[in-house]
Amino acid sequence: MAIKLNVNGREVEADVAPDTPLLWVLRDHLGLTGTKYGCGGGYCGACTVHLGGAAVRSCQLPVSGVASSAIDTIESLAERHPELVDTWVQNNVAQCGYCQAGQLMSAAALLDGNASPTDADIDAAMSGNICRCGTYVRIRASIHAAAERRAEGGSA
Amino acid sequence: MNAITNLSPNLSRRGFLGISGVFVLGACVPGCAPTPQAKLATGTLTPNLFLTLTPDGTVRVLSHRSEMGQGIRTALAQIVADELDADWSRVQVDQADGDRKYGDQNTDGSRSILLNYDRLRSAGATARLMLRQAAANHWQVPLAEVAAQNHEVIHAKSDRRLGYGDLAGEAALLPVPEQAPLKESAEHRYIGNKAVHVDAADIAHGKGTFGADLTLPNMATAVVVRCPWLGGGVKNIANQPTDVPGLIGIEVLDPSPSAGPVFAPLGGAAVIAEDTYTAMRVARDLQIEWTESANHAFDSGVLSASLRQALEQPGTPVPNSEKGDVDAAFAAGGTELSATYETPFLAHAPMEPPVAVANVTAEGCTVNAPLQDPQSARGLIASWLGYAAEEGEKVTVTPTLLGGAFGRKSKPDFALEAVELSKRLKRPVRVQWLREDDIRHDYFHAASAQRHRAIISDRGHPAAWLQRTAFPSITTVFAAAANAPAEWELEMGFSNLPYAVENQRMESAGIRPGVRVGWLRSVCNIFHAFSANVFADEMAAAAGRDAIEHRLEILPAGGKLTVPGMQPPEGHELDVDRLRHVIERVRALSEWDRPRAEGVGLGFAVHHSFRSYVATVLEASVAEGRPKVANAYVVLDCGTYVNADTCVAQMEGAVVFGLSLALHGNIGMKEGAVVQSNFHDYPMLRMSEAPATTVELVPAQGRLPAGVGEPGVPPVAPALVNALYAATGARYRALPIKV
Repeated sequence: MAIKLNVNGREVEADVAPDTPLLWVLRDHLGLTGTKYGCGGGYCGACTVHLGGAAVRSCQLPVSGVASSAIDTIESLAERHPELVDTWVQNNVAQCGYCQAGQLMSAAALLDGNASPTDADIDAAMSGNICRCGTYVRIRASIHAAAERRAEGGSA
Repeated sequence: MNAITNLSPNLSRRGFLGISGVFVLGACVPGCAPTPQAKLATGTLTPNLFLTLTPDGTVRVLSHRSEMGQGIRTALAQIVADELDADWSRVQVDQADGDRKYGDQNTDGSRSILLNYDRLRSAGATARLMLRQAAANHWQVPLAEVAAQNHEVIHAKSDRRLGYGDLAGEAALLPVPEQAPLKESAEHRYIGNKAVHVDAADIAHGKGTFGADLTLPNMATAVVVRCPWLGGGVKNIANQPTDVPGLIGIEVLDPSPSAGPVFAPLGGAAVIAEDTYTAMRVARDLQIEWTESANHAFDSGVLSASLRQALEQPGTPVPNSEKGDVDAAFAAGGTELSATYETPFLAHAPMEPPVAVANVTAEGCTVNAPLQDPQSARGLIASWLGYAAEEGEKVTVTPTLLGGAFGRKSKPDFALEAVELSKRLKRPVRVQWLREDDIRHDYFHAASAQRHRAIISDRGHPAAWLQRTAFPSITTVFAAAANAPAEWELEMGFSNLPYAVENQRMESAGIRPGVRVGWLRSVCNIFHAFSANVFADEMAAAAGRDAIEHRLEILPAGGKLTVPGMQPPEGHELDVDRLRHVIERVRALSEWDRPRAEGVGLGFAVHHSFRSYVATVLEASVAEGRPKVANAYVVLDCGTYVNADTCVAQMEGAVVFGLSLALHGNIGMKEGAVVQSNFHDYPMLRMSEAPATTVELVPAQGRLPAGVGEPGVPPVAPALVNALYAATGARYRALPIKV
């Protein structure tokens, strides 16, 4: 069936079974492959997107349940969080990079709700995202750095 | 500047007349009659396989190694760009297909820089020389007077300069010199410094292309349900689905005979659909009856018991490992110390599960997949398709970005699945492994056990040291009759230990496993470094000695040991002074002698692997019944390094990888089937468990480059065990640690 969605600020339509997880609608039907499949069980966070601004696991969300909310993916993150994305790049956070879309989406949601997170806040917000390469220390440092850049008005 | 501008035409004309311009520079005066400027040929310079300079000045470096997070695409480009004197912002990286012409493309063993440092420096330097020569010819000045600098060739005397792009066509007309001068280490400006990874921006914008991100027209997606035990296949499918929208069909993949092709697909049923979710959903509900195989009886607990048992008997002595007379030393008596260590099977679990896209047509076959060795995959695919040797070029294998690999993606079984299905369906097919498939059907890091027995002095020095190791060999994957650990497996942290012991013997034993085993980041170094470093700590503790002080004492005083190594040239030097240096540096870096709070302990481990030297100190405690690592300190000496920031990142990652296996990693098999299935029962270290990590690189530019991706892993688990002992007095000799 055709389902209308709002993805990255655009109205789109996908002809899929209503129980199809949002992840596969994004990847297979809308061509938004930045969002990754990592586990299919909500354990790893590689598929994290924003639903109405909140970080959610898109592999766990049947598409039929998300038609009324704004969906944002990694492909549009730099528009909303340029400091965060740039800090990630400059700090060489990514190693293989496969989990990083999910890491960035979780980090962005954290910063949206908490402009100056502590280490404990970061632990709480980011522990749902696994990085097998082990980039955690750079993720932590880059969230702090991006928060500071944002506080300074996005300069530097 | 008029005088200078006027020089060119004259010189060009003289060049045309065949007169050397060498002495003309000073002689020519303002007012020389202007003649038309000789035009530089426009074209592309491709002096070798790895470098292309286009007329717009873009330098394209070809990476023939696979990118899996180790930053190799960036590092290879840094090497070329440095010797080329290129402007880094104008360097781009292309990915090479698998092809013998590039030489070794097997991206494993932490050797991409070792194997390619000199040839890529030479590639860049050759192009630089040709560009200088082209400019010198154009200006009619001696080569020695023109210098290359940041994408330009400059003639300082006359203040003239030409961009690399402008010179490319002219340089392309020159013969490629056989030799070109290389820079001194001190002249390097990219090599040895940080570069932002060439793929970093794409990745952070969701644009990096990983294995599953490529879509071909008319491509189908397959999810394969594989037999839970190795060697079994489909006997019957009880519920053949019909009328599922998007479902294309089900194809049975036969299990390969045990002596069959290397890395052949496992037996299973491939559900093929127009989209991934349809294939997943149908696959989940299939009810399959499987054929039997001997491996159906395999039990990892039984295997581990057998490994322990093997340690009670004399094993096969490791050639050339015996020193003195161990048996006599034990018979003579003294303070005896012995301990047994155990490690379980591990799965690689890269964040990107195996995935491959294949398109087999009448003309040939293309494969795009996250493969560590596209060249060997190409050969296997050609042979799988029955192509004659001379038809090898009909197969094109292009690596995508690898979403983690750690050794898993050097085994291209998943690519062969895609090839086979595309051949049958006559359309492009993507095979997508689910996480459950990845955990259950890996080439597992082998379970192991070690027994150490020593006579120690009152200072904790081993007067006699008997070491035994037992594990299923990776060679069992390649040969039906293989059983014993291979020499190269023992050379990973067992037969090449550097300690000065008067009486020593090393023995090994192997057992055939009922699962596929394979190399995982740092391979046998994981368990060998674990047992040796913990046992050394136990020797120190038994004598009440400081662990680092003790370790420095039991190492030879200095000099170089010739040790066997897994990489050519066989047998390389282990520089004891460099080993001692990383130990001394980590003692300083961790402030080893500074007292920590009650309940907090420091643990130390050091290991030489992949030609590098790594010393690690962890600061740990037990909080709420769980080990907590607050700080990690790592010192790496990898010889010449290219991207300093990548080296630091690899050590940070190695700490996390090592802690995952020390605290969580455990794969078990019952009735031939893997018990675990996903990250809920095969957990990885998470953000809340990740220690602050401080890394120091030993400046060693000019030395032979060595490994970076793997050697950080082996010291982590033993350093943690030793730290927990210091913190609590409890000694954990089995992984994963259960407090």
